[in-house]
Amino acid sequence: MSTLAACQADFMAQVLEDGRPLPNGWTPRHAAGLAIYRNAYRARLVDALRDTYERTARWVGEDAFCAAAAHHIIQTPPNSWTLDHVAEGFVEVLEQLFANDPEVAELAWLEWAMHRAFVAADVVPLDAARFAAASADFEEEDWGSLKLKFLPSVHLRDMGNDVAELWSALDSDDFTAQNYVLPEPTPMLAWREGLRPTFMSLTKSEGQALGLMLDGVCYGAMVECLANAIGEEEAVMQAGAMLGRWLGNGLIAGLN
Amino acid sequence: MTGIDPFSGFGLGLRRDHYQDFVTGAVPVDFVEIISENYMVDGGRPLATLDRVRSKLPVIMHGVSMSIGSAGGLDTEYLTRLKQLAERLEPLWISDHLCWTRTSAHNSHDLLPLPYTAEALELVCDNIDHAQNFLGRAMLFENPSSYLTFPEDEMAEWEFLSEMARRTGCYLLLDVNNIYVSAQNHGFSADDYLAGIPAGRVRQIHLAGHTPGQEPDNILIDTHDREVCDEVWQLYAKACALLGPVATMIERDDAIPPLPELLAELDHAREIALEAQPMVAA
Repeated sequence: MSTLAACQADFMAQVLEDGRPLPNGWTPRHAAGLAIYRNAYRARLVDALRDTYERTARWVGEDAFCAAAAHHIIQTPPNSWTLDHVAEGFVEVLEQLFANDPEVAELAWLEWAMHRAFVAADVVPLDAARFAAASADFEEEDWGSLKLKFLPSVHLRDMGNDVAELWSALDSDDFTAQNYVLPEPTPMLAWREGLRPTFMSLTKSEGQALGLMLDGVCYGAMVECLANAIGEEEAVMQAGAMLGRWLGNGLIAGLN
Repeated sequence: MTGIDPFSGFGLGLRRDHYQDFVTGAVPVDFVEIISENYMVDGGRPLATLDRVRSKLPVIMHGVSMSIGSAGGLDTEYLTRLKQLAERLEPLWISDHLCWTRTSAHNSHDLLPLPYTAEALELVCDNIDHAQNFLGRAMLFENPSSYLTFPEDEMAEWEFLSEMARRTGCYLLLDVNNIYVSAQNHGFSADDYLAGIPAGRVRQIHLAGHTPGQEPDNILIDTHDREVCDEVWQLYAKACALLGPVATMIERDDAIPPLPELLAELDHAREIALEAQPMVAA
């Protein structure tokens, strides 16, 4: 290792770790300067997390959020050039730290999904007319093997809490803590409409169907899966209606 | 490597708080400077907004993550993204800082100081050659503010910058506030610094505010969260007299005020530059 590489490795360790012995020849004045770099490092990363997880921070409170952020930064020091990546993995950290309050990680998941949607690649979604043209010559087996390519901004997950309601409540200055637990898990969809990230709750069956298609399952297999629960005729009708909604909401980028 | 023609105007950093002003109005500036990394994304509103601003004004790309002083070399994925953005924007120029931000294992997301040694100079020059060849254009590098110096230092910062510019053909972004902050923190003369800079290589000046030092160490911190102080304005006047017309901008990254306040500060820079220039002619 070159002298400079060794110097930088040691300096980085000083920034990351409190209480590390100072390099030879360093004085208390060096320590004071180093403390500024150390504080700036931590403050910048916590600010980046707070910027992405603004509502989560409001929900758990400043002290708890800072403690969770510090835990995340220590556990997973950043190694990417972009500050955006600092926010990766924070949802999983919150799942561990707030195991008895699952709405915290669910709210954080939605904020992270909305953030990713905000800067996701620009893709013109397939509209109903273009889809009709593309599928005009489909035979039955073409429908069965149809796979969909979704916009890169599309994210889906089941929620045990009414995070949509919690999200709205946190927009208010005087929100009050209350119980947001749902009677049963409900799928939450986040994506971007034009330039605006958005989200909506889905029915259980639509969430299941969309999840399958996002995972690369073909349309026929998705319909079969629905049919197991609601019968074939109803499944075909519901799947068609869902496909129409996905097209209408601009979720589909193309056909595979 | 093709040189960078001088461009003497007055600009501001493009910040989210002022997007609407720049998109809908005619803001009286000659250019805007962006933080490159904020727009090195796949798509969405940041890039769409920037495209609209770019259709009205020249843009300078100012980066914080190139880590030109990294002993481990440069990040190719970063350079690729930076080049893609430059191809989209056709900026006046691309700049970054004389500093390092990462090792092979970690990224500090902070502008960390380099020891000013012959070894570091050689490494930085190699990295600048790499970056400029990759991007196909000469770059500007900014003098950092710093809070410590290394016992190993073999030369002054301005000597390092001068030799770096001579060897690589890069240009300099002179941050006058950073000169003041580092001069106060390390006890050198800001006038010596200005006199030691190769004036012909400076293509841009940054002006910003800093946080005063606190007892017992009185270390000034480059926070960009307040207006430019009188001492920095005085140093800017000296820089203008020495350099002649150079693109100048106010850099505010925190506690961002309404746009008119920054424009008033920029007007003050115009007045100082105008007063100082006859000294060059004389």
